Amino acid sequence: MDFSALNEALAFKSYDKVADICDTLMFQAASEGVSYQEDWPYAIHLIGHIYVNDINSARFLWKKIPLAVKESQPEVSAAWKIGQRLWIKDYASVHEAIREFIWSPQCQGIMAAFSEMYTKKMFELLQSAYSTISIQDTALFLGMSEEDATNYVVQHGWTVDPASRMLTVKKQAVVTEQKLDHSKLQRLTEYVFHLEH
Amino acid sequence: MNLNMNSVESLVAQIQGLSGNIGELTQLRNYLKQCDDLLRTESTRLAPLLTELDPSVHSLGYLYILEACTSATVSKDQANELVLSVARFINVCAADQIRLAPEKFISICKRLKEQVVLLEDPMRGVAPLLTSIRKLQSSTEQLTTLHPDFLLLCLMSKCYKTGLSVLEDDVFEVDQPRDLFLYCYYGGMICIGQKKFRKALELLHNVVTAPMPIISAIAVEAFKKYILVSLIHLGQFATSFPKYTSSAAQRNLKNFSQSYLDLVNSYSTGKVSDVENYVQNNKDKFESDNNLGLVKQVVSSMYKRNIQRLTQTYLTLSLQDIANTVQLNSAKEAEMHVLQMIQEGDIYATINQKDGMVRFLEDPEQYKTCEMIERLDFSIQRIMMLSKKVTTMNEVMSCDPSYLGKVGRERQRFDYDDFDTVPSKFNL
Repeated sequence: MDFSALNEALAFKSYDKVADICDTLMFQAASEGVSYQEDWPYAIHLIGHIYVNDINSARFLWKKIPLAVKESQPEVSAAWKIGQRLWIKDYASVHEAIREFIWSPQCQGIMAAFSEMYTKKMFELLQSAYSTISIQDTALFLGMSEEDATNYVVQHGWTVDPASRMLTVKKQAVVTEQKLDHSKLQRLTEYVFHLEH
Repeated sequence: MNLNMNSVESLVAQIQGLSGNIGELTQLRNYLKQCDDLLRTESTRLAPLLTELDPSVHSLGYLYILEACTSATVSKDQANELVLSVARFINVCAADQIRLAPEKFISICKRLKEQVVLLEDPMRGVAPLLTSIRKLQSSTEQLTTLHPDFLLLCLMSKCYKTGLSVLEDDVFEVDQPRDLFLYCYYGGMICIGQKKFRKALELLHNVVTAPMPIISAIAVEAFKKYILVSLIHLGQFATSFPKYTSSAAQRNLKNFSQSYLDLVNSYSTGKVSDVENYVQNNKDKFESDNNLGLVKQVVSSMYKRNIQRLTQTYLTLSLQDIANTVQLNSAKEAEMHVLQMIQEGDIYATINQKDGMVRFLEDPEQYKTCEMIERLDFSIQRIMMLSKKVTTMNEVMSCDPSYLGKVGRERQRFDYDDFDTVPSKFNL
């Protein structure tokens, strides 16, 4: 099997391409009748799907993995554990699943990138969904110690109430491009003209 | 007449000599058509000929011989070889050549599909069939008879994401109605697997409402899934059919799906425990239909639906009250549900943990961003394209002699004033 495309994507940190590359390679191997299951990089493949938030595909891939592989390669099961927690939307325990396994050198880069991205996503979720939230919950969602979590959110303008151990969320003003250029207005005018005539 | 050495040689020579331009290829096709019976009777002796041809250059001739070679029944060992050789050919063949003999190309692709299923390795056929669809199509608007086979292999090998790639194309040309029915049914299942419920609903809707003289098993199974997806995605199911639904479907579909319609009734009460009981009591029925997983998703979607309903009544509500109203065990559980719904854009709200309250907000979209204009623009262009297509089809149909004959005959029975189906510009 020629994994050069995959290795290249990993080397250049194009992690969002990993799932597609693995899928294509797998179909190619399958259609050529090559027996690939035993040394397929299932862990990377699973993480690739998880990285682009395609938990459905990760789940279907998990179902396809031969039992022997699941038993002999702990990294594959560890990768799916993350997928499983995302699947049941147990937001906080995803961090735990990332931390409790020592990832192989091949997986380390993509896993670190995913972890960072996930923390950021969780922060954005908390910011959009809460007006006040406890320090304890914030730490769980962000996968940090309470102290680190507090420092992290204070940097983003949140405020701490030490008495109740609550954080007050500072909403980020959403800046969206609202200026229209003339071509768009022109096109809308044409549509209306089209409908009326 | 036997295919003796002489004609074998001449066959290869013809193929090699006539694979250049379209004129030669048409000539070659006619020649091969005449040889078809011979190729069939001599199929076992043809395999060596393939080595003398280049599948990417002599695609048409190669296709005829390969088709003849692979039409005989094969053992399991041979099946493996067959799958390999067909897959290799699909990969390298020239699209414009194989389109000259679509029936032969379809035949080898169907053979491939049949064999990978028998070998219990459906994934082997996924990539070759996708390639063959793309080579066979003159445009992505055309639905080929290979579409349903491809989607079936995707389902069997759990490669749902790959199936989505053909479902994104808008279909306007269909050859056989059965292809469309199966395409939409399997496509619906793929979208369900990927939780793309809006698209699934659209595909299943197409099966249920398509013209059909008699009701089919495909339509019945699609209708059952349509009911379930409708509950999950829309939170309701309208029991009346759109008026363009065939009368066969209107008369019969409901008789075959009573347990599903009862589920709809139970769902509409909004009581999770009632629905859970109903599902428990009818578990076997749903399980034998292979719909139990989907039914369970219906049940869990109820929490979401009930919370959504609260947003229409209240501006603020305590988490405990939400938990009580929608039958969740604790305020924390209600908080997690609300959080998920905010994340997925199902509701607009902010949670205040300090007071244990949720404040429901209005949809912040003001329909004036550039992004929204882009979307509007895109939709309008699609609709304009569709409208042009409908006009063209209408015109083609208005000129169709058999249509005009039928309408003309019916006219005599009615008064001209109250029965005017022929557009006025085509005066008879």
